[in-house]
Amino acid sequence: MEAGSATVRGRMGWRLWAVVPVLLLALAVGFVVTSSSSLVDLVGTNPPPADEFDIRRVEFSPGEIRITVRNPQRDDLTIANVNVDDAIVPFTVDGPTTLGRLRSSTIVVPFDWVEEDPITVGVTSSTGIETVEEIPAAIETPTPSVEGFLGYALIGALVGVLPVALGLLWLPALRHAGPEWLSAFMAFTAGLLSFLGVEALSESFQLQAALPSALGGTGLVLLGVALSFLGMTALAGRLSGGSAATGLALALLVAIGIGLHNLGEGLAIGASFALGELQLGTFLIVGFMIHNVTEGLGIATPVAKTRVTILTLAGLALVAGAPTILGTWIGGYTSSDVLGALFFAIAAGAAFQVVVEVGRYVARSAPGGLRSGYAIAGFLAGIATMFVTGILAG
Amino acid sequence: MTKKKLTRGKLLAAAAPLAAVPIVGKLALDGQAEASGHDHSSHSSTRVPASHVQGRMGHSAMVGEEAPAVGGPNDLDALLYPPPALPYEPGRVREYTLTATDVDLEVAPGIFFPAWTYNGTAPGPVIRATEGDILRVRFLNAGSHPHTIHFHGIHPANMDGVFENVEPGGQFTYRFEARPAGLHLYHCHSTPLKKHIHKGLYGAFIIDPKEPRPPAQELVFVMNGFDTDADGGNNFYTVNGRSFYYARYPIRVKRSELVRIYLANLTEFDLVNSLHLHADFFRYQPTGTGDYWEYTDTVMQCQGQRGVLEIEFAGTGLHMFHAHQSEFAELGWMGFFEVVD
Repeated sequence: MEAGSATVRGRMGWRLWAVVPVLLLALAVGFVVTSSSSLVDLVGTNPPPADEFDIRRVEFSPGEIRITVRNPQRDDLTIANVNVDDAIVPFTVDGPTTLGRLRSSTIVVPFDWVEEDPITVGVTSSTGIETVEEIPAAIETPTPSVEGFLGYALIGALVGVLPVALGLLWLPALRHAGPEWLSAFMAFTAGLLSFLGVEALSESFQLQAALPSALGGTGLVLLGVALSFLGMTALAGRLSGGSAATGLALALLVAIGIGLHNLGEGLAIGASFALGELQLGTFLIVGFMIHNVTEGLGIATPVAKTRVTILTLAGLALVAGAPTILGTWIGGYTSSDVLGALFFAIAAGAAFQVVVEVGRYVARSAPGGLRSGYAIAGFLAGIATMFVTGILAG
Repeated sequence: MTKKKLTRGKLLAAAAPLAAVPIVGKLALDGQAEASGHDHSSHSSTRVPASHVQGRMGHSAMVGEEAPAVGGPNDLDALLYPPPALPYEPGRVREYTLTATDVDLEVAPGIFFPAWTYNGTAPGPVIRATEGDILRVRFLNAGSHPHTIHFHGIHPANMDGVFENVEPGGQFTYRFEARPAGLHLYHCHSTPLKKHIHKGLYGAFIIDPKEPRPPAQELVFVMNGFDTDADGGNNFYTVNGRSFYYARYPIRVKRSELVRIYLANLTEFDLVNSLHLHADFFRYQPTGTGDYWEYTDTVMQCQGQRGVLEIEFAGTGLHMFHAHQSEFAELGWMGFFEVVD
């Protein structure tokens, strides 16, 4: 008994020791907090806060402009004055007038704005600093409506679901391809996914860089990439019972990777259109359709030698394409730039993980493995095809 | 401030040759995806623009409670109503004390401008003398930078406020004869000049003629601006230091009685400022000197220009006045006379 309690005490002792650094850190933090200004005085003077707002969204509705602002800095920021086109205007604030760190409010300005004219809005802090946002052309911001909701769904289906489904129709042709050619198409899929992954990663970094520094750490991107990469790894393990994914499991993984990317793509389309930064023309939609049709090929290849029902194929098309619709809804009707950065990071992580899965498959099943000319040429062709068809969409 | 957007470069560039599709839901429903060139009018001519709503409050109605101005109804009386003119008396000495101080002035509701002032306001107090008076202006510098007072007028060159920089904590007494009669200015002349003036070191300087002007309701308007974000351009424009103040608290005057306005322009950065009166005309005497009077409703003044306006209002009611630079008017330089019987 005594020996047992001594062990318990010993274990407790170790735990107490683990707390010691935390306590000491708290003490040190207390010291710095209480003496912060005198500490700074040793080396110089702090610059004054910028006192600039982060103007996140400017929305136009009949007779009204709504400006959503955030305080990106440590010190409080007070909305004291609002200008539209260099004129002081009456306004109300939906939310707090004095914003704490990273807090947002929406400024409501009754204003008879002129359609399609450029317009500037300025928000002045109590310290007199004016933050100006220039809107290249004022257009009415879409509000949630059944018509708009269905419209976005239709556009999402056109640029997401339809091309993937069309690409899946290559399946009968693929069934007759020899093993070299199949491995080439699998490598092609890997190239395609690498392209999408890099694209999503770059987009994520761009969005992250535009966030206030407090929110915009590159860690946000890494977190998203790691989350989805590890999540997809776990999923791949489950789908294939521990061994490398093949057949339908691999096709599903590819579809998920592509689907997450298409979520981001839909998000970008919806948000850009809602903010009046994108003209949703025929050419753009056709471009996206051609760009995305190869995604269907990527999903079809892993099941080239597997029996699948038409229903399963439809399911795969939905997994890969339907997130575009969801993305346009989110982008069109909400405004979370943090979420945007995170979505693209998740898309990148998923794409890279699927590249790994496909790579393993090719390494094992292709005659000559990863070093075969078919695999290498297929991979490069995948990247090149995405690049070339991407020109159509941009 | 940089602009952020959730988009990809490729989303933006592609659509340039195409027109917008105004209602996306219609895109495929009616098969009109082929948007027709650049003809924007096709979708805006048949309806009221989305931007417009009937019956919305316009700017011109910003009066009284509606006008965003700082403070209570009589806050600026000391600047608006000059000290009374004194009859000419040979050899009389007029004494003033001006103290330069750094003050955070609330120039618009909730907006604080770190000003340099004479006696705590921008513009500073009205200095008034009768032609021939000896002015003794004691200047104390309680500010954080060297300052001077430079008076316009005729005086010895060593009383000009240019050569004697008064250091913080220091003082200097300016002594000279007040002449010629007219409306003049005083302002700091330390360098950098632009900084010392736009921060608020200026005011009106009235010299009454030996032969007094007819009795009148006298007012002083010093036009100025405040560059609150220090970017070399004014964010707010005012008369006597607070934007929209006289829109919130109209100046009450009597119909048919002589009203005299001493108008000076001490706006920095902008080359000219102006005053436009609604619904009536006034007589304008440039610099308040000479025999020339212009009959008009709009006068323009360059930086440092000034003059005297006289009017007997013909009708009662709210008479608007503002800079005829619309931008200045909408950034605070607008007010009203309330003409009563």
